[in-house]
Amino acid sequence: MTGTESDGSTSEPSRTAVRDRLDRVTDPELDRSIVELEYVDRIEIDGDRVAVEFTLPTAWCSPAFAWMMAVDARDEIESLSAVEAARITLSEHMHEAEINRGVNEDLSFAEAFPDADGDVAAVRAELDEKARVARQYDAVETLLEAGLDAEAIVALRPRDLERPEADGDDAAVAVYVRDRSFAVSVPAEPIERYLEKARETDLVSGPDDVLFRTPEGEPIDADSFDLVHQRGRLAQVNMSSQGGICDGLREAREGRLEEPADD
Amino acid sequence: MYQHDGEEIFVIDAHVHLWDATTENIDHDGGEEFIQCFYDYHTTFTPEEREWSIEEYRKYGPDRMVEDLFGNAAADMAIFQPTYLSDFYVEGFNTTEQNAELATEYPERFVLNGSFDPRDGDEGLEYLEDLHETYDIPGVKLYTAEWRGESKGWRLDDEEAFRYLEKCAELGIENIHAHKGPTIRPLNRDAFDVADVDDAASSFPELNFVVEHVGLPRLDDFCWIAAQENNVYGGLAVAAPFAQNRPGKFSEIMSELLWWLGEDRILFGSDYALWNPDWLVEEVLEAELTQEHRMEYGVEWDIETKQKVMGENAAELYDIDIEEKRRQFRDDEISREFDLGDHYASEEPAAADD
Repeated sequence: MTGTESDGSTSEPSRTAVRDRLDRVTDPELDRSIVELEYVDRIEIDGDRVAVEFTLPTAWCSPAFAWMMAVDARDEIESLSAVEAARITLSEHMHEAEINRGVNEDLSFAEAFPDADGDVAAVRAELDEKARVARQYDAVETLLEAGLDAEAIVALRPRDLERPEADGDDAAVAVYVRDRSFAVSVPAEPIERYLEKARETDLVSGPDDVLFRTPEGEPIDADSFDLVHQRGRLAQVNMSSQGGICDGLREAREGRLEEPADD
Repeated sequence: MYQHDGEEIFVIDAHVHLWDATTENIDHDGGEEFIQCFYDYHTTFTPEEREWSIEEYRKYGPDRMVEDLFGNAAADMAIFQPTYLSDFYVEGFNTTEQNAELATEYPERFVLNGSFDPRDGDEGLEYLEDLHETYDIPGVKLYTAEWRGESKGWRLDDEEAFRYLEKCAELGIENIHAHKGPTIRPLNRDAFDVADVDDAASSFPELNFVVEHVGLPRLDDFCWIAAQENNVYGGLAVAAPFAQNRPGKFSEIMSELLWWLGEDRILFGSDYALWNPDWLVEEVLEAELTQEHRMEYGVEWDIETKQKVMGENAAELYDIDIEEKRRQFRDDEISREFDLGDHYASEEPAAADD
């Protein structure tokens, strides 16, 4: 049933490995891990097969968003070499049948939802872009706290970042500024979280690309740095406000389902 | 008239409805899903002891509405924002005609807005003219994500929508309220995108565009547009009840709005009957920005700001003379019914400049 110790003859994935993979799946609107958000209800490992069950805050959570999370969970888990197939089950959603069938039979969104106007790629790209802007805010805050000014920050490129070999959760990144005349050391996490989304959105691919951008994807003038930074803050507030609504709706629904409907 | 910190605040609830979601009126599964989703919003943000049962919530009727809005003087006036949803509800969910029942009974207390749907073509234009003729509507509430047959929505910057906006400009229907808010199943997400407001607002500078629900969860897009178009306003419905159970989040949202739009372009709305002004107004007025947000954004939720957001900004858009209303309300039918004369009794309002 659940992930028992491997006897060595089969290479069963570890529960930790599966969880770590799921941790990379985000609610695309909130840009937070589905594990952290407690959407994941159950993980079952049976040899090289993994089954995951998850629930969203409301039954009418956007089908497109639910779809993205289900597909991402499947793809993340199946990227583990010890996994042959992942089975994803979304529960208590108005479109659970379409989503579960589509994800587990490898259909496209348009195939799973014949009524939909098209695929989810555009919606996903838009949400990724918002997530990138919100993450940029944290990365830039980190650099401002380290004493860098607007001019130095807008000029940064990936080649100016150096990650020491010794990895760890509390690792730092060295940021070289002023034509590598000096470096400051900053916490790695916000910078790397930003880079991850900047790469996903194809804004930063090579070592010489400008690291930070406006929400429209353009390099930033030092003059408009403050305004762009404020827009990053706004993107975060937008996400966390929506998170507040989702949390509230989840509580309301749980309350409604738990109470006998006698009033 | 609300008394707050020794000051009087004239409250115009800029977003109210008189709806009918009884099962007999539901024509499509979407109609039931719609009211259930509203009810989840209701229970999420309403203090437990003030929650309604789903049955009351389906249809509360005009008497209850008048009492909830004005009975304890939490609101002084209210603006009807219709939501037709005619594919979901036999007689519509909340139409101009249904709202007119109360608006014509208490014309001094209510403002009656109409609506249009550009997919109705020439017939819709005639309907808009009729509404103007019959009710002299000063504004419209638009639901760009409303289902209509095969169509799952429309955009404010469609060519056809522009014909309607031109008609509004011609007739003097100046206030265009667009619902741009939380995704409400079963409506399409994309139709709540706020980007279409941008083009419409710059093309019709003589009209005012009120983005309802401040675009949540597209607050970032909304604020960016509003920062550039000075005829774009934000309606607080849905953001306001955060004051009750997510005060830190309310502080943050208000700070962003005050920073990007300033205090002159934010309008209070309860979204009645999603939420009752009789508790919500107090929650919003008593809310405070956190010290951290005040420092970070350099904005204040002080008495002058509250007076503007809670009533003066809407009064400006709707040509409401607050002083005239105060005199009128000393002895109008509603003040007599709820014994509210004292609320409007003081000769002169406290000076607004201290």
